[in-house]
Amino acid sequence: MTINRDKFGALLFLTLALIYGYYIKDIPLLYGDEDAAFNAQTMPTAVAWLMGVVSFLQLVLPPRTEVHNLRDAFVGLQWRKVILLSVLMIFYGLTIRYLGFIISTSIFLLIGFMILGERRIKVLLGASIPVVVVFWFLLAKLMGVYLAPGDLFQIFG
Amino acid sequence: MLDGILSGLTTAIMPINLLMVMVGCFVGTFIGMLPGLGPITAIALMIPLTYGFDPSTGMILMAGVYYGAIFGGSTSSILINAPGVAGTVATAFDGYPMAQRGEAGKALAIAAYSSFSGGTIAAIFLLVAAPALASVSLSFQSADYFALMVLGLTAVAAFAGKGQFLKAVMMTLFGIMLATIGTDPAAGVARFTFGSMDLIDGISFLLLAMATFALSEALMSILRPPKNTTAAEQAALKKLGSMKLSREEIKTMIPVIGRSSVLGFFTGVLPGAGATIASFLAYGMERNIASAKEKLKFGKGSIRGLAAPETANNAACSGSFVPLLTLGIPGSGTTAIMLGALISYGVQPGPRLFVEQPEVFWSVIISMYIGNIVLLILNLPLIPYISKLLALPQQVLVPFILFFSLIGVYLVTFNTMDIHMMVFAAAIAIGLRLLNFPMAPMLLGFILGSMMEENLRRALIISDGSISFLWERPITLVILIISVAFLMAPLLGVVRERLRNRRELPNDGEM
Repeated sequence: MTINRDKFGALLFLTLALIYGYYIKDIPLLYGDEDAAFNAQTMPTAVAWLMGVVSFLQLVLPPRTEVHNLRDAFVGLQWRKVILLSVLMIFYGLTIRYLGFIISTSIFLLIGFMILGERRIKVLLGASIPVVVVFWFLLAKLMGVYLAPGDLFQIFG
Repeated sequence: MLDGILSGLTTAIMPINLLMVMVGCFVGTFIGMLPGLGPITAIALMIPLTYGFDPSTGMILMAGVYYGAIFGGSTSSILINAPGVAGTVATAFDGYPMAQRGEAGKALAIAAYSSFSGGTIAAIFLLVAAPALASVSLSFQSADYFALMVLGLTAVAAFAGKGQFLKAVMMTLFGIMLATIGTDPAAGVARFTFGSMDLIDGISFLLLAMATFALSEALMSILRPPKNTTAAEQAALKKLGSMKLSREEIKTMIPVIGRSSVLGFFTGVLPGAGATIASFLAYGMERNIASAKEKLKFGKGSIRGLAAPETANNAACSGSFVPLLTLGIPGSGTTAIMLGALISYGVQPGPRLFVEQPEVFWSVIISMYIGNIVLLILNLPLIPYISKLLALPQQVLVPFILFFSLIGVYLVTFNTMDIHMMVFAAAIAIGLRLLNFPMAPMLLGFILGSMMEENLRRALIISDGSISFLWERPITLVILIISVAFLMAPLLGVVRERLRNRRELPNDGEM
């Protein structure tokens, strides 16, 4: 048995509604708020119920004829590059504070170009370092945005 | 009103604001041209830059970007049949065949003149409609606002397109769920933070918009690379041909522009409808009223078929500002992102904006005229050069878009956790996009969710806990009845269609 795309999405949202609904009980209520017409739990409760009903409806209603099955939605995609770019973004988040804006951003762009297949040295270097320096100048010197030097440089004085 | 217009004009023609309109139109045109990147991404990328500006300047920049993005989308629709924006899909129906027969320049000129006329006529309507609606809405109470927000959210789902209704409702609710994360503003208690300090303030609107639009759209263009331009398309990019229109052609266009402007503006005012629906409606209307002989030309390079959607989509852009500026309720993903930006500037759109900050209100409207003029006199002659940007390699563009998205959010908080949260949110957005879930309703739900909760709470307190506020005032009742109609009509349609399908198709074991 295969599952179609719409039904799979509905299943995900139904699960979300259940998990979200379960955690509503963890929202603390102020003294006297338990019997109030509207408290911090009211809106989440309403949304959880609505999400549950709508996703259940999508799940039980007969499927649309033209909808592809789940596998078709994920076939022929270039996952490798996207995963590598995602890892690169996380790496950027980890390094920007240590290496500072200019170095970390230059590395980010350089590796980004390479992941996407750019191999010309002129483009790799020309579109990363000088652009980042110009952007840094615009931000730090013209717009007055404070960009702290990397922690690494502070360690070395 | 005259004082307001003059004050708006004074603000709009300040050198910095004029510069921002130009920059906005230019940047918007460029981003809108890139297949896959729409006006929401263009505006999201601009928000961090506008934080240092005055609210009027920021809004003027974003309005320029909005217009520019729609105009840019038309350019890529005409030249390479790859609409950068959903609102310009109908433009490609007749624009691309014109480009193929060597009249790309003419097609671009028709698109530019139609956009200019549509935008300008609609801005005049806006000038009249917005203050009138703003004065009426000054008498609105919390219950009415709650009803209006329900209407906005249901309309977005109702207009979501065939087979997308239930998905759009789910995405709207998902947006509201995300809005409940963080500290409850009334009670001051933490909700769904799971002890994380990073979630105490809730999810940042900018982070969500950037991750689900700019970042995920850029990554989607890698995941599913757009088709390569063919040799014929490359030739069209290099040689656009004459941009001159004959008197006969102008005569054909004028009535089309008149009709489509009115249709586009009113479609834009409707919450949830927007430029895409306006352009398709205008195209359909024009084809329906055309003579049998003229009808045959549609889809093969008809001037009417190109002018109608182009006029309507720009008119709808102006129309969509009516609910945003007068009621503080966005009717589309694009105006939702503008509302988020306005709130972050400390400006609360709505009827009070018209009274308390008329310069913001009027300068945005006046800048629309200026934006249209800029698009016509600056962008049109530059199109042969700007269109060359379409040939920029994707491997260079995408890392820059990723960088601008990440740094835009990082520069606001200087919290590296935001970068990681963006990657996580973008991954979820990509999954949802692959499952064909529309993203704009989520953004709208996120923006309106907390406002809706606040108004519902206030309405309940005023009515002493009774839900009678839903029917006590005729205006509230009427709005809620319209909302229910918006919700029920497509819902019944979905149920009927699915049940019919089940009767017609034998069960093949697929769920």
